[in-house]
Order: sequence, then structure tokens, then C-alpha cells
Amino acid sequence: MTAVAERAAERREQAPGDGASVPAQIGVLTAHTVQAMLSDRRLLLLTLVEPLPMLLVFGQALSGLARVPGFPRGVPYIDFLVPALMVTTALQSGLQSATRLTDDLGGGLISRFRTLPLWLGSVLVAQSAAGLVRGLIRLVTLVVLAWALFGFRSRGGPLALVLAVAVSLAVAWGLGWLFMLLACWFRRGETLQAAAGLAMFPLMFASNAFLPVASLPPWLRAVAEANPLTHGVTAVRALVLGRPALPAVAATFALALLVTAVTAPIAVRRVRRTE
Amino acid sequence: MTVASAAARTPASAIETAALGKRFGEVTALDGVDLTVPHGTVLGLLGHNGAGKSTLAGILTTLARPTSGTARVAGFDVVADAHRVRRRIGVAGQFAALDDRMTPRATLVLLARLHGLGHRAARARADGLLELFGLTEVAGRTLRACSGGTRRRLDLAAGLTGRPEVVVLDEPTAGLDPVSRLTLWEVVRGLARDGAAVLLTTQDLAEADRLADVVAVLRRGRLVASGTPGELKARVGSRSVTVRPADAADTAHADRALRANGIVAALDPARGTLTVAAASSRQVTDVLRALDTAGIDPGDLTFSEPGLDEVYLALATGHGPDAALDAAPDTAPGTAPDAAPGGPVRGAA
Repeated sequence: MTAVAERAAERREQAPGDGASVPAQIGVLTAHTVQAMLSDRRLLLLTLVEPLPMLLVFGQALSGLARVPGFPRGVPYIDFLVPALMVTTALQSGLQSATRLTDDLGGGLISRFRTLPLWLGSVLVAQSAAGLVRGLIRLVTLVVLAWALFGFRSRGGPLALVLAVAVSLAVAWGLGWLFMLLACWFRRGETLQAAAGLAMFPLMFASNAFLPVASLPPWLRAVAEANPLTHGVTAVRALVLGRPALPAVAATFALALLVTAVTAPIAVRRVRRTE
Repeated sequence: MTVASAAARTPASAIETAALGKRFGEVTALDGVDLTVPHGTVLGLLGHNGAGKSTLAGILTTLARPTSGTARVAGFDVVADAHRVRRRIGVAGQFAALDDRMTPRATLVLLARLHGLGHRAARARADGLLELFGLTEVAGRTLRACSGGTRRRLDLAAGLTGRPEVVVLDEPTAGLDPVSRLTLWEVVRGLARDGAAVLLTTQDLAEADRLADVVAVLRRGRLVASGTPGELKARVGSRSVTVRPADAADTAHADRALRANGIVAALDPARGTLTVAAASSRQVTDVLRALDTAGIDPGDLTFSEPGLDEVYLALATGHGPDAALDAAPDTAPGTAPDAAPGGPVRGAA
């Protein structure tokens, strides 16, 4: 029996420390999630061509909107449109993180994670960090395609464009947490998609994304002005058009932080619940 | 006490539960379970579907919280010290807890990294486990494309990435082919030799018999017996004697003759055999004398030791020679006698 106790003690000493630290867990899981994302070639390819139909259809079908009242003078519709597509791309990117999370929550690995010395919030933080990588890939693709094929130009210069991408990523981050909270609630991808679809349409169209707010009927204008997406679009658009953008940029970052601060702790608590 | 000495300290028992209970609303899944598993021991937990095996495994692996009583694993309370428990346990379940989109190697490397190993150490650990479980060939294949046996083996390998000192296996061999099962048995024995404690739930009696040092039987959430396989067999009506009269026509006649002497036999008309529980050689003599008096040639005569099957039937279902068990005087020392009249006997490890 003493021999057994000795071997047990030896086994105990050989065991790797207290598990990885929380930042290390997040690092490992983020790398894993990004790698999984990049290894899905078909999804990657679809992501890369996705902006094309939007640019084509919106750019052509809605170009007449450049003549509606309230439309900024002398601005080609494409320069008005691209900031809106940047923010809606960010929205979809956030939703994709959440969908990916429902896959993970439904899969077996998460139940193994529950038996590991792991802070389960790491899984969410990693998913959200990987969402930024995904968002960056999609935004860069969008901007490059719009520039190369549709004559999009950033009137605010390259630095403003970089900042515009950063603002869009902030939107993707905040909304990503909101959708991840929904994912922790619904657990199923289909339910999440249905709920997101319900929210997505008014978020996208009851805003200043595709039309100047001034051109909307008064009640819709009130909705659009309250829509958080409108702030994001205003900020990105002001940057791209080379106009004063600081208040809108600050408001968007603050809003994204606020949404994250409210939803992240609830999402983490939900995912950590074992029963 | 310093941290170092706390780490070196090995608790007396790897798993220790006291009056452990779990209720789901009206349903009692576990009821007053007292269980002790020392290091270096394999405990086989037997029971029907719904007997509480998985609930117990869930509590010991911190996936579920008990509603009463306590459980300590590797010396730590599963509720208050869940994190410390998690770093010392390894788990493999009924449902392979893996990601279908990943390869076996990537899975093991990821888990090793999460256990705190560096890049290189994690890769070495993964390679070692792949080798041990014969997974090297499929190491780079997406799990979706792997067989059920591969997934089960990887699931167990995944449970061992952290060099656990307590291993909980919930029906690990269900649905495995015989070769994979043998591999797994070898690994489990190896773990116990290395000082780990293994709790293994199973419905496979041969597995419990071959693998477990101690067998515990759960019935409707209660521990109804525990002991070595040999001890349990000894407690369920010891030996039996089977006779097959030379003349098959005599079978019914023989049955009547035994009955007349107060001996109850189990009749198998298809084989023409009569089986009588015979704890002592005296009872064997009684059987033979009764037959002789009736002028029947006993023909083929075989003795058999009870298998774990009989134990299981008697204990896990509550049918079978339960009365004999309830009357069994050999409740092991250190256990509380069951309070409920006519209730199940509780043994000790």
C-alpha cells in the first residue's frame, strides 16, 4: 500500500501545474478558433466574395438615391454606401462568432472543458477575439473590392480609412458579445439565426445606412436616430468622407464598450452554469 | 502548511463520498451513497440504466452538484474546491466529448496546452497518448471521418492528457470492439499500477470481473453492495449443483422427488436439467439422496460457482435471491447497518 501511495504522490508531482493561466487559456483557445476558422476553405472563399453582390446590387439599384433630399452633395453613392456595408459586415461578423459558439456549445468539447481546470469565460473571450480576426478579413476584402472594382475612395485619406475599419471592428466586438449572449441562451444555431434575423432587418434598414435619415418619414427617423447602428455608420461615414468624426467615433466606441460590459458578464455566467 | 507540502500530501483516499445524495425535483437519483476508493484501485460501479451511475460520475467530475452529503476527490471537496479537483481528474464519458471538426492530434495538443503544457511538451504528450492508444495512424484525420472505436479511444486519451490521479470512466467500453476493449483494459490496469484511482461505471459484468478490484452495485440511487468480485459472488448463494437425469423422461419425476424432500430446483425442460442452490456439500448430499431414494439415476452432475451475473441479478434488480442477501450477516466492518427493515444490505470496500 505504501508503494501505491508513493506512486500516487509521484503522479501528483508529475501533473502539469494548476492548468494554464487565464490569459494563456485565452491565447490557446483564440489561436485554436482562428485556425479552425481559416482551415474551413469553403467558408473562407465565400467570405471573400460575399461583398461583391452587395456592392453590385446596392451600388447599382440604389445609386439614384444620391439625388434624394438630405444626401451629401457631390458624394458618389458608392462612397456613401461603403461605410454602411462596413458596419453591416461588422454586424454579420458578430453574428458569425455567435453561430460558431452555438456549434461549440452543442458539440462535445465544451463538456470536456467543464471538467478541466479552465475558466469557461475563456471560450467566449477567445471566440470574440477570433471574431475580430474574421471581421478584419471581411472588412479588408470589402474595402479592397470596392476600391478596385467600384471606384470607392476614402476622401479622409488612408489613416481615416484605417480608423473607419477600427470603428467597424468595435461594432463587431460589441454586437458579437450581444449575439454570444443570445447564443448562450438559445444554445441552438437555428434559434439564434431566427432571433438575429428578426433584429437584423430593422437594425440595418431603420438606420442611416442606405438612406440619409433626413429622407425618412418622421416616425422612422426617430427609430433610426435611436438605432445604435446609426452611430456606427455616422462615424465610419464621416471618417471616409473626410468630415469631422470625433464625437461619432467616441460615441460608437463608448456604445460598443457599454454593450460588452453589460452582455459579457451575463454570457460568461450562463456558459459557466453546469446544470 | 506550505503550498509545496500540500501538493505532496497524498490523501488517504482518492475518492471519498459521505451520505451523498442528488435529487432532481421529485426524483431521487442518488441516496446516501458512502463510497471509498483508495489510490491504485479500480472500482467498478454496476447498475441498470437510471440506477444513478452517471449522476455519481457527474458529481465526482464537478459537472453536477450534490444536493446532500459530501464528495472529496483527490482530497478536495467537489463543490468548494472544484477547480483543484478538475486539475487532478481525467474523464471519459458515454458520449465522446470531442470536436468532430478536429483531428485526434489537434485535440490532444489543445487539451495539453489548456493543462498548462508548453508547445513542445504538449506535442510530446499528444504523441505519447496517440501511441499508447494506437491512434498514430489516424492522428491527422478529421474526427468526423473516424470510426466509433477511434473516437472512444481518443476520448479516453483526452481524459488522460493532464496525468490525472483520479480517473472517472462512464461506460468507456460500451460499443467498443473486443480488441479496442482489451487495449482499454490494459490502460486502466496500468493507471491503477501507477497509483491512480479509477472509477469505472459499466453494465458489462465481465469487464467489472476482469478489471475491478472492488465492485459496487447501485440500485435506484442506493449503494446496495460493495466488495471484491469474489466476496460478492460468495455472498450470492454460493455454489449450485446441476443434474441431468440419464433418462430425460425422469426430469419431471426428479423434480417431484426433490420437492417432496423440501428442495426447490430450477427446471430447464429444454436441456432436461435441474439446478439447485447448494451452499454446503451437505445440501449436495441431500439432493443425491433424494434422487437415489426415488430410484432416479442422477446422470450428469455439475457444480458451478456463481458468476457476477448472479450477483448483479440479485443486487441490481432487487429480484433473485434477495432475501438471502438481506439475511447475510457479513456486513463488513466500518459500515452502518441499513436502517430500513428489509432494506438492501450495504457493504464496504
